[in-house]
Amino acid sequence: MLYKVLDKSAYRDFVKALISEYEFIGPKKKDRSVHDFVPIKDISELDTNYMRVTIPPAKKLLFPPNEKLVTYEVGRKIEVRPVIESDEEILFGVNAWDINGMNFLDRVFTTDFIDENYISKREKLIVIGMDSKPTETNFSLSMGTEYAKDGFDIYLTELKDKYFIRIATARGNEIVERYAKVSDATAEDFRGYDKYMNNYRKKFKMSVNIKNFYDDFELIYDNEDFWKKIAKNCYSCGSCNLVCPTCFCFNIKDDIELNLKSGSKTREWDSCMISEYGLVAGGHNFRPDKENRLKQRYRCKLKTFIDKFGKYACVGCGRCIEACLAKINIAEDINSVKKEVSV
Amino acid sequence: MRKPKVGIFGLTGCGGCQLEILNLEDQLLDLVNAIEIVHFTEAITEYSDNYEIAIVEGSISTMHEIERIKKIGDIAGTIVAIGACAVSGGLNCLKNLYGLEKAKELVYRDKKKLIDSIEVKPVDEYVKVDYYARGCPPNRFEIVDIIRSLIVGKKPEIPNYPVCIECKRNGNTCVYELGITCLGPISRAGCNSRCPNSVSGCEACRGVIDDPNINAQKDLLKEYGLTVEDILKEFNLYNACRGKTIEQKNK
Repeated sequence: MLYKVLDKSAYRDFVKALISEYEFIGPKKKDRSVHDFVPIKDISELDTNYMRVTIPPAKKLLFPPNEKLVTYEVGRKIEVRPVIESDEEILFGVNAWDINGMNFLDRVFTTDFIDENYISKREKLIVIGMDSKPTETNFSLSMGTEYAKDGFDIYLTELKDKYFIRIATARGNEIVERYAKVSDATAEDFRGYDKYMNNYRKKFKMSVNIKNFYDDFELIYDNEDFWKKIAKNCYSCGSCNLVCPTCFCFNIKDDIELNLKSGSKTREWDSCMISEYGLVAGGHNFRPDKENRLKQRYRCKLKTFIDKFGKYACVGCGRCIEACLAKINIAEDINSVKKEVSV
Repeated sequence: MRKPKVGIFGLTGCGGCQLEILNLEDQLLDLVNAIEIVHFTEAITEYSDNYEIAIVEGSISTMHEIERIKKIGDIAGTIVAIGACAVSGGLNCLKNLYGLEKAKELVYRDKKKLIDSIEVKPVDEYVKVDYYARGCPPNRFEIVDIIRSLIVGKKPEIPNYPVCIECKRNGNTCVYELGITCLGPISRAGCNSRCPNSVSGCEACRGVIDDPNINAQKDLLKEYGLTVEDILKEFNLYNACRGKTIEQKNK
């Protein structure tokens, strides 16, 4: 890691240069309530001071909602061609918990099977991180994702009159050297940065009692009344999955052309909350009840990947809480598991 | 591969579903190459009683239509209902809410005795329907998907999950956040969240999913200051004929 500082007066020129030199994706205000990561053509469109989360999360750049995987032609023999599309682009202004979300997906899409479609996009995505103000539903601090230690090329932290820059890759260093007038970080800058981080961590209002959740969850697992109560108003609408920066499940659809000679296979974001998710050939459904599905989602988020990678599959961004019309709140539910088992 | 003979029929409806087939434009030539259309109420003059697949638009609202649909059912091995009217009775069912006599009185006045008009019902009240392309209008690509699946002999993938899934895939802001009410959380997807994409609420034109959380939806609408009447009005626009979905009814 290299540490530099950029004078605030030079920030706009740096960003402008990146916008003109690269395909530049950044947060832009979409309507009165949310921001989205979209291509930015002019610095005036960029709004890094987004109060609320972006919907959808930045994972859409690596794992798009709809993505063609292969095309095929049926002739004397079947010819299959993979479709792997990726372009070099900058993702600017993505915050620490979303970077940690991408880091989680990196593990998922490279463990057991290398997902070329994901990896080719990830390798070409230049990530420039920046902190954003946590919302009331954000519990990243409890999940340990309020700080990104890797998964980015450059991370800008806004101090009083300068930006503290962490450079994590050679590619990031080249960009900084070419486009930004920086100087080495001094001991005073480091102190300023530490002070900033201490204050930043105080901005997270929501906290969860995640300690020992791994064991507590087993104790509550068979308590049907508890899960029924939590899932009472669940629509099984899948919104929580589709706004989640770590959800990776997908369904593959086969589209054959009407000429019956060619076709393609496309993957699209799936959701474990819908009843079809647990439906298998023969008509059996492993999880016909909504409370079962909700319990399974919590298990996947908070336990399964502790076993697998030693990581939670939840970065605490609070998107699912904001997206849930039935007001199901994963943070409150984590805390009520604790309460329930300690009675 | 042999081309199946297909008849496309219009019953009580606006004709928009048949028009959706004509609107296929880019795929229309491939479509007529893949199937042999022997009857098409809205598009061809020739008439044929020799078909294997019947694609039916519109609800049943006259005695004559009962005879027609039964005849279609006798001939066709496979029936595909397209559009809200054929699938659930659709908008036409609003007539039933008045009561048949009152509705005839209102519309036809002193000529009402001359008019053949009965309680509106969806197609599957009279014949077995194999596949449903829901919606008002139906998604034309879904109609193609059903035809294609019939040709290659696989089950078409018709979503049975809420509109929210497609809406979120499309990256939309939830219309509730913008102060608009929406039936999306309980309504069948498959339309690619057409209405929320243009910032308006879903009206459940594809009907309700098999396992909807109606109580949660009532709570939610109430929170937005809507009365039970408002709620019923929204549900009734496309679904006055039945409180239940087709699948639940068949169980």
